[in-house]
Amino acid sequence: MEIKIEKLSKKFGDNHVLKNINILIEKNKSTIILGKSGCGKSVLLKIIYQLIRNDKGLIFYDKKKFVDIDKFGMLFQYGALFDSLTVAENIAFIDFVDGKKNYKNKVINSLKEVGLTADVYDKHPSEISGGMKKRVALARAIYKNPKVIFLDEPTTGLDPINSDMINELIIRIIKKKKMTAVTITHDIQSALKTGDNYFFLNNGVVEDFGKCNLMLKSKNKLMNEFLMGVKKLQNS
Amino acid sequence: MQFIESIGATALNFIRAIGKIVIFIFLFFRFIFKPRFYLRHNLKYFIEIFISSIPIIALTGIFSGMVLALQSYTGFSRFSAESAIPNIVVLTLTRELGPVLTGLMISARVGSAIAAEIATMRVTEQIDALKTLNTNYFNYLVTPRVLSLTLAMPIFVTIVDFIGVTGGYLVSVYRLGFNENMYLINTIDFISFSDYLSGVIKATVFGFIISIISCYNGLYSKKGAFGVGSATTNAVVISSILILIFNYFLTEIFF
Repeated sequence: MEIKIEKLSKKFGDNHVLKNINILIEKNKSTIILGKSGCGKSVLLKIIYQLIRNDKGLIFYDKKKFVDIDKFGMLFQYGALFDSLTVAENIAFIDFVDGKKNYKNKVINSLKEVGLTADVYDKHPSEISGGMKKRVALARAIYKNPKVIFLDEPTTGLDPINSDMINELIIRIIKKKKMTAVTITHDIQSALKTGDNYFFLNNGVVEDFGKCNLMLKSKNKLMNEFLMGVKKLQNS
Repeated sequence: MQFIESIGATALNFIRAIGKIVIFIFLFFRFIFKPRFYLRHNLKYFIEIFISSIPIIALTGIFSGMVLALQSYTGFSRFSAESAIPNIVVLTLTRELGPVLTGLMISARVGSAIAAEIATMRVTEQIDALKTLNTNYFNYLVTPRVLSLTLAMPIFVTIVDFIGVTGGYLVSVYRLGFNENMYLINTIDFISFSDYLSGVIKATVFGFIISIISCYNGLYSKKGAFGVGSATTNAVVISSILILIFNYFLTEIFF
């Protein structure tokens, strides 16, 4: 699915979070949205997902203004798994709440896709590790075979090995399922590894955009400051 | 000047909060008739609330009835009216203490749990996750809790009434030396269905108040651990105060 955002603005009270945003998310490509904390990335993601409304501007989903959000899947920053439900009930939530019971094989296949075994099927989120939670959350996001997957800081809170695993997993799943991906991240390594295109947000404005493989050669001053900041942090 | 401003701000916040709660109640009645209904989830929640609350309300009932019998004896024995104790115990329990004490205990036991659970779900983005899974979060989170508690409260009060009267009976017969048959006859003959009904109606209203206030505080909690804590405290404090206020007005109606 192609998503085109035109002149999108959003404010909360007097705080202009997004100002005149124009973004093209290409079909079956991985688009990365970069930026400092509080620059409006998460708000933008939620507006695209239709979880919150924009004040101005238009969003076209495959050239249409309306979209069924069943075509979307989302991986939240900290997983957002439902504590009171088991791993299986979390993954197959849409079937579980409808009272369907024949989701076992589909859940086990989803677990396999994210590199987990059926051992975790009946466990609760509190009984599995952070890396496993992220994978289960990813399995839930892809369970309904969405056309677009939204990834909010997919590597946050993970050690480098688990981060790398999640990145590999994301690349594999996007390619295999031919999905469009929109990722919010601070993690440049992750962006370079998983992204095709990037947009850099600063104070609610798109400051820079381009191909991910050319990101490090960007001539935008703010983008370079951001990259330098991340680099310094990584070195320290 | 600053003092007047702060009074004005407090008054405005109070009015705003009342407005938000009224809208919340309106949303509840709107969504209750709007699919999807998550019936299995509703039933599961009702059973959970019911089982987890039985021990606490049983203890509330038995000790209230026992204390009531002892205290009534202290007072009535001063003017030789001990025979009125069965009547006083059953009347006070069914009309007043049963619904109010059950309301306050359930507010602390279930109301706090509802507010804390929903507030935690909000803080950890679980409510956003429900929205992304195309789930009507209001019908999934609020409706089962409000319906379950509103329907469970009359049953709780019936249990408290029965156990409380039993407690009063045990103390009166085995501690104060009442004739057991006379005690039972005085209890059964004196109580009318309208006494029981007034308590049950009060309990239903209290159940609705506790669940609505607790869900509201959970759903609109501020972020972070502090937000969860204050949502829980507010749910219990506001529910308890509203129970006491509504109790007076309902008593006026059934007087």
